[in-house]
Amino acid sequence: MLNKTIVKLAIPLAVGALALTGCGSDSGSDGAVKIAFQGPLSGDNVALGENMQNGVKLAIQQANAKGDLDFELEYVAGDDQGLPDKATAAAQKIIDDEGVVAVVGPAFSGPTNTSSPLYAESGLVTVSPSATNPLLTDKENGFTSFLRGVPNDNMQGAGMATYYAKKLQAKKVYLIDDKTDYGVGLATVAEKGLKDAGIEVVKKSVPQKTPDYSATAKDVVNSKADALIYAGYYQDLAPFAKKLKDAGYKGAGISGDGSNDAKFVELAGDASENWFLTCPCTDATVEAGTKKFAEDYQKEFGRAPGTYSAEAYDITNMIIEEVKKSGADVEREALRDALAKASYKGLTKTFEFGENGEFKGTDVYLYQVKGGKIGYQGNINELAG
Amino acid sequence: MSLQEFWDYLVLGVMLGSLYAVIAIGYTLVYGVLQLINFAHSEVFMLGAYGSLIVLQLVNPGDNPTALASIGFVALAMAGSALFGGVTAYGLEKVAYRPLRRRGAPRLIFLITAIGASFFLYNLAGKLFGRDPLPLPEMYQNREIFSIFGAGVNITQMLQFATAVVMMIALDLLVNRTKLGKGIRAVAQDAEVAGLMGVNIDKVISRTFIVGGVLGGVAGFLFANLNQVSYTMGFIPGITAFAAAVVGGIGNIRGAMFGGILIGIVETMTVPLLGDEWRAVSAMVVLILVLMFRPMGILGERVGRAA
Repeated sequence: MLNKTIVKLAIPLAVGALALTGCGSDSGSDGAVKIAFQGPLSGDNVALGENMQNGVKLAIQQANAKGDLDFELEYVAGDDQGLPDKATAAAQKIIDDEGVVAVVGPAFSGPTNTSSPLYAESGLVTVSPSATNPLLTDKENGFTSFLRGVPNDNMQGAGMATYYAKKLQAKKVYLIDDKTDYGVGLATVAEKGLKDAGIEVVKKSVPQKTPDYSATAKDVVNSKADALIYAGYYQDLAPFAKKLKDAGYKGAGISGDGSNDAKFVELAGDASENWFLTCPCTDATVEAGTKKFAEDYQKEFGRAPGTYSAEAYDITNMIIEEVKKSGADVEREALRDALAKASYKGLTKTFEFGENGEFKGTDVYLYQVKGGKIGYQGNINELAG
Repeated sequence: MSLQEFWDYLVLGVMLGSLYAVIAIGYTLVYGVLQLINFAHSEVFMLGAYGSLIVLQLVNPGDNPTALASIGFVALAMAGSALFGGVTAYGLEKVAYRPLRRRGAPRLIFLITAIGASFFLYNLAGKLFGRDPLPLPEMYQNREIFSIFGAGVNITQMLQFATAVVMMIALDLLVNRTKLGKGIRAVAQDAEVAGLMGVNIDKVISRTFIVGGVLGGVAGFLFANLNQVSYTMGFIPGITAFAAAVVGGIGNIRGAMFGGILIGIVETMTVPLLGDEWRAVSAMVVLILVLMFRPMGILGERVGRAA
């Protein structure tokens, strides 16, 4: 009886699957110039991806509305959920769409690492506003289509270390990474910086999605560390921060751009108060150059721009600028080479790339949660004095 | 590790373990009566958490509620989670398992159905409630209320532990003292004979699911109260609690309680001794050791015979 049921189910399923593959493959070019974004548009850290996606969308909308283009720009979304194993499928989907001439992203370091070989092979340029793992521009990787629009974690980790050493004069720092490419990379640099400054470091790895952070929080308190660095994303930092508060931790806490989102404050509530957050990004709502952008963004999406929104906006504009020079029938490889050599002054900073696509420029900024808001403090090296 | 630290971590371990125990009971109950591992139980747990979130958003505790109001909010949230958990478990039984049972499908089909239902439910939840984690509104000011051997216990932890204990005692009484409990035990022992003796098997089974679902749902609320609500929150605690149920002897309710608390303590103790990276490893090592030397689990007997 069972076998019959299986056969009955299997036939329509097989037919359906065939039909689907039949119509899935011929999505080819329809004349429009498309700019894609790859990042987490679902999954656990979706807020970070949406910040950037909105920046890209806004730039495309404004360019279309201006009316000085002799072609139509279109947006293509590539959702990698922020996960390395989902990234290749997202990248392949973008590559297969022949109209796509450039990609903003990938957003996270892990997915960049797995999808960059595909982009390199297809000659499709990717300019990431946020993937900060230093190894991504390593020559040995051969990621020939990867450009980084942000200072890497060497700068961010070093900035955290300098701030703790000089400004807070910490004696012992408890350093945690979340076992992702991003977290481990950031923690390694921070560790080096702290040790060079003569600070004692307790280094631990706490994998993402740990069901209960109580024991870890206790461990932090028991270690008598007077400062803490968390290298990971807000989804995990928020419950951890709550547990630290419950455990009676009184020291300072600092985390990187993976936690620098209003969601962190929303999830952690009071426990997020006084946390330091670093980011190679400026605050679009505060800096004079991005005020207008922040207003447009607010009007369009009904909320303030978040982490890397303005950077994604800048990068998209930079791509549009380059496409304009060669017109609608721009070739992928030609655009890649042009962008690698380009120098573009955006709202947030000047985008220029060195060897292997590494970003030229080193500025890292410090934020602190005050009164339930992430407050912009300024350039971290200047603050550390 | 100093003696003080030992007590600190032991208390934390028991707290976490009591939650695992409550979830483990859900697996064990269903296994007891159906010999089915209900892998969708982790989604019952997750939906329970959403239930409490929805209720709390409706009543909106606001800032600084009074002590009495706080108790009310906690009770409402708990009721919401119990309702969601119970309804989900009931629905699962009705839609996914009962049709298979009617047709006498082999065990393996039940197992695959359970996994499929689990995938379906958590993706559905992601679609309905959004993929972003959400905080549970604060129902009270969390502070330390007393200490055991110098290890401080705060309101959240006390709530978690006390609720778990009350639920476990209530369940023990239910299974051993009531008519429904007698039915559960009879079906667990031999469903066919129980049917011949006039026990309405379908009714007993769906009520068993509801009881397990209510417990799982409330555990979901307690867990969300510690962390946050998200559609992926069920998986890791679910698997851990399942391991706990097997360690205690799957099908045995007291075994599930014991296994849950044991796994909770082992996981927590791992953190200061070996580091966080090892906590999942250590829980699974316990599972493997138990299965090697006592494959039926530590208290290894089924619901029908344990009581």
